[in-house]
Amino acid sequence: MNEEADKNLLDQQKRNWVSRWTTLGDIERTLIDKPSSGFEAWARTTAGVVVMLLSLQIITGLLLGFYYVPSTESAHTTVEYIEKVVPAGSWIRSLHHYGSMWLTLWLVLHLAQMFWRATYRRRPVAWIASVLLLALILASGVTGYSLPWDARAFFGTRVTEGIAGGLPLVGSAVREWILGGPEISPITLGRFFAVHVMVVPILILLVLAARLFVFRERALVSEAEERRLEVWMHRQVFRNAISAAVVFILLAIYSWKYFAPLGPAADTAAPGYLPRPGAQFLWLFQMLKYLPGRAASVVAVALPGLILLGLILLPFLNAKPIKRLIPHPRRTVGVVIFSFSFLLFTVLTILAYWKDATDPIVGAQLRRQQAEEVAFRSAPFTPLRARTSESVIDEQSDAKDSGKQADNASKNDNQGNGNTAVSNVNASSNMQTNVLTGGPPESYIINCSACHGTRGQGVQKFPKLIGVGSKPRRSVEDIIALLNDPKAYGLEAPMRSYADKLTEDEKREIAEWVASLKSK
Amino acid sequence: MPDSNRSKQSKEREVDKGRRNFLFLLPFGIFAGLAATITTAAFRYLRPAKPIHDEKWNDIAPIAELKGDKPVMRSIVVEHQAGWASTLEEHFVYVLPNKGNEVLSSMCPHEGCNVAWRSDTNQFFCPCHDSYFSLDGERLSGPARRGLDPLPTREQNGVLQVKYQSYVNNTEERIVR
Repeated sequence: MNEEADKNLLDQQKRNWVSRWTTLGDIERTLIDKPSSGFEAWARTTAGVVVMLLSLQIITGLLLGFYYVPSTESAHTTVEYIEKVVPAGSWIRSLHHYGSMWLTLWLVLHLAQMFWRATYRRRPVAWIASVLLLALILASGVTGYSLPWDARAFFGTRVTEGIAGGLPLVGSAVREWILGGPEISPITLGRFFAVHVMVVPILILLVLAARLFVFRERALVSEAEERRLEVWMHRQVFRNAISAAVVFILLAIYSWKYFAPLGPAADTAAPGYLPRPGAQFLWLFQMLKYLPGRAASVVAVALPGLILLGLILLPFLNAKPIKRLIPHPRRTVGVVIFSFSFLLFTVLTILAYWKDATDPIVGAQLRRQQAEEVAFRSAPFTPLRARTSESVIDEQSDAKDSGKQADNASKNDNQGNGNTAVSNVNASSNMQTNVLTGGPPESYIINCSACHGTRGQGVQKFPKLIGVGSKPRRSVEDIIALLNDPKAYGLEAPMRSYADKLTEDEKREIAEWVASLKSK
Repeated sequence: MPDSNRSKQSKEREVDKGRRNFLFLLPFGIFAGLAATITTAAFRYLRPAKPIHDEKWNDIAPIAELKGDKPVMRSIVVEHQAGWASTLEEHFVYVLPNKGNEVLSSMCPHEGCNVAWRSDTNQFFCPCHDSYFSLDGERLSGPARRGLDPLPTREQNGVLQVKYQSYVNNTEERIVR
């Protein structure tokens, strides 16, 4: 008898391996709410779907980050590269694009489900965390929309800017803070990028950390009750996994069938381009059509803000003075917010689709844009032709003998090399004479040109010296001292000391020549 | 009687335990499936891309101009296309007129710095780590493990042409990159 009890204890300890070595048990207990069964239990699996979609956004976002470059020159090309060249790239981007809309939808369903079960009463932290998550996901949707930098993204940014600019009092300031200046510029793209991939994800993780690790929302129950809850919890995890898997498979198939939209680059957009927001903002877009100028801005910012604020405050609405006014303030206010928003979202979203489908002029323009996107998608990828900044080519083409260059170009054409106008220029021998007689001292050629270029233009990753003389601590004397002890000037290997490899005269002639290098 | 009852109970408990294990494991199976799908896509997505090398012949100089017993330095601009951008890189080469116009890459086979020609000692010299090479590119001293790398050349209409090629550095044999 005693033995069996011992064995049971041992078994239990073995089984509790997870809770002995990890905090998963604690997290599980934080997540446990009143058990339910049947439809209610399945309705609660919105939680699992949200977790799955959120993880998917993070994973696909990280993957996109491997190729995406947030500059106005490269952004569109890198997205095009992901779409057209990288294996599975278009699927991953599509998952990210549609995933953000699905996540918004499922978060709303999750909130509705929590409201239905009056979670805000028992689990105010869980409730507020979910509302904050929805706000952050919406912010992520706004900023992410601008990143591909095609016409759709550019005009989407312009609408965001317009809405911000129309706000009373703070409008122009907010607009400039969002844009980083008076106009949409590379700075704007940088800001949207930073908010989208750094600020918002960190805030999301903070909200989740607070929800799981900081706040304690555990109902005090007996040990026997806790055992029962744990068993229920395991079943619930199973249900969540099923729901998450089903939604994932649906999203995966959807993203396989439908590409995330990508049009030609922003600067090639034809006038009359009609921007359309992501599905989660269609209702807002449609509403703006019915509101005059400034009122639109106020409503576009205030309405979602008030809805979210109302939801956040919901758990606190049962104060006595409010109770005296309304019998069940939380239930009542919640029902009002939910039914009002639900009505607004669905009616306006349907209207938005319906208007686009029925208006002949708008329809024609949207079809034109669609055709443009299809044509763009089927065109082969064209790589970015980067100009090597200080390289020979530019200077050569400015050089006196443009005739010679033309000769070269035509010769190349004869050989059937279409794109070689730039690459064979150096074959002309004038460069050699420039390099060897016009410029640097012999000692520079031998010791320095290997890395810094024969004209101080820099070679590959090694820095250029042109213009260095105008920087602080780079006088002729400084450069001599630097050659003796580069470390003292903050330079690291492979820049080495030339203290005993050059004579004092050589150091001086090199320093004087380098200091004389001016950028054109 | 109590015995059989007991065995029945334990059997039930075992069935129950199996069921519980199954319930506990199935979600992990589902998660593993989702993770495997994404991981497969991620693997294909991140697999290193083969850069497109410029297979072009670059003009160096008219053969008639290449004279003397010292190496002649020239530069060629090579187009590299990797990923979404094509970049132009300037590379230096040395022509050896008295060795049948052999062309050596100036890239040091040690760590890839550019070697320079020293006319005072008649040697190639790498300013980064002091490797020395003879007039015809043979390794003389220093950390480099092989001599300077020759590049494929040809003659076209009296003009010497070269094809740029880079080799894996720091190896004894030449391995094309």
